[in-house]
Amino acid sequence: MEVDVIKSKISAVLVSILEHDNFEMHDELTAKDVDGWDSLSHMMIITKIEEEFSIRFKLRDLNKLKNMGSLVSVIQTKI
Amino acid sequence: MVFNSLDFVFFIIPVFLLYWLVFSKSNIYQNLFLLTVSIFFYTWADWRFLALLLGSTLINYYLGLKIYSSPEDRKKSIFLYIGLVFNVGLLLYFKYFNFFYEGFYEILNVFGSTSTYNSLQILLPLGISFFTFQTLGYLIDVYNEEIEPTQNLLDFSVFVVFFPKILSGPIERASSLIPQIKEKRVISYEVSVDGLRQILWGLFAKIVVAENCALIVNPIFNNYENESGSTLLLGTFFYAIQLYADFSGYSNMAIGVSKLFGIQLMRNFSTPFFSTNISDFWRKWHISLTTWMMDYVFTPLSFTLRRHQKKGLIISIITTFVLVGFWHGANWTFVVYGLLHGIYFIPLVFSGKMNTSEIVAKGKLLPSIKEILKMLLLFVLIMLTDVFFRVESVSVGFEYLQGIFSLSIIDLPSVLFTSTILITITLVGFFILVEWMNREKKHDFEIGNYNIYLRWVSYIFIFVLILIFGKSAETFIYFQF
Repeated sequence: MEVDVIKSKISAVLVSILEHDNFEMHDELTAKDVDGWDSLSHMMIITKIEEEFSIRFKLRDLNKLKNMGSLVSVIQTKI
Repeated sequence: MVFNSLDFVFFIIPVFLLYWLVFSKSNIYQNLFLLTVSIFFYTWADWRFLALLLGSTLINYYLGLKIYSSPEDRKKSIFLYIGLVFNVGLLLYFKYFNFFYEGFYEILNVFGSTSTYNSLQILLPLGISFFTFQTLGYLIDVYNEEIEPTQNLLDFSVFVVFFPKILSGPIERASSLIPQIKEKRVISYEVSVDGLRQILWGLFAKIVVAENCALIVNPIFNNYENESGSTLLLGTFFYAIQLYADFSGYSNMAIGVSKLFGIQLMRNFSTPFFSTNISDFWRKWHISLTTWMMDYVFTPLSFTLRRHQKKGLIISIITTFVLVGFWHGANWTFVVYGLLHGIYFIPLVFSGKMNTSEIVAKGKLLPSIKEILKMLLLFVLIMLTDVFFRVESVSVGFEYLQGIFSLSIIDLPSVLFTSTILITITLVGFFILVEWMNREKKHDFEIGNYNIYLRWVSYIFIFVLILIFGKSAETFIYFQF
């Protein structure tokens, strides 16, 4: 899947969980930059991403997610 | 040797001077010196467990290297599990052995056994809840490849035993503290002065606010059966303030002392009573413990239960908070305290308001009526729950609460118009006012931007308050944990 497609799918997930689109999608984007993206909503976002891409994360994958770029590359290795 | 003692003054002044004048050539000298004085500090507080502290340091250092260097995942996991069993085992033995031992016999008795138990006399090593959590976090971070283990035993030892935080935290993270230990520290006038400010404010919170509150709280809690509902309510109010002033005061002093050595510890309290919901409160209360629990308990647990959606989230929150409570001590009262706090989160899970964390009345002088009502409601809830933090048993806690919600709640409190109460209320009011003014700052008394006259008037005013109203205090509430 192309990076742009992955990113737009992630954007849609963020909007549906956080209920706003107040962020700009780029590789250096981190949870801290996005309103309401904390450890609690993180789990909901992760679950939704798993559903969208039909993949499963491991806890260790989760710890490696430093920014949007790393999220996209982890997703790429799974699909 | 507590921070608010004369012993400590005679300790810290020469240590500060030697550190910057004699041992400042390289970070190796600085670290050797810090390790030596930290061991001296811990030994002074309680020499009996020095061997345990140093042994635990060595074992965790070795395990960190082993986890990192093992080529296969399976081996990494084995060394991590050894670390978990070792550290949790230490805590279970020293802190919780009698609790589970008694529980075991009570269960036997339910099934008709008549055997009796004798509690073992186990002394609690000072700081054990804090340093075991710190080393546990280190091992998990190494396992998760968040950090590389430190190869240098000296650096690692300073990370564990650094004296400002060894007795009661903050529970530091390797990723923030170890890089600072690896660098040579350079003295900064601004940082040192800011540290002194934080020490002054911490001292005020502890020996003026907390200790004066204690004078009101202790007689009420000790004689709760005979007090009116309104007096009991007043007791919980002052206890909530005492608990906060005691531990935030300690934390400010610890962070301030650490700044004198050029090391920044993490913020532990961020004006928690100025919160409008329970989740916001816990983001600001004992932050080093809460974030630890979030990262190492809540996140893995909620990840495992993520398919169960809200149910999974609620189970994770409640388990996390029961553990937060239980971390404080081997008593059912702390379990009830944690359980109640976990339950308070449930409405937030359903309303989706869990993530809101805002500075109340940001950029404004005063909060709105709505914010005031929310803060008050939250404070009352927390203050009533704090009863379980103070009492010896769950049944006494419920009796105390029953006592509040009786007809005598409309009586005038028996202690209202005494001079102690009036003085304490004034001091608490001043304390809250200063915290309110500094709620957007990096710490509760960050007044470096005030002009020089106002700064000095503030220092002298607080110093005089300490001289007049300060009480000597031998210990802190959190030393028992």
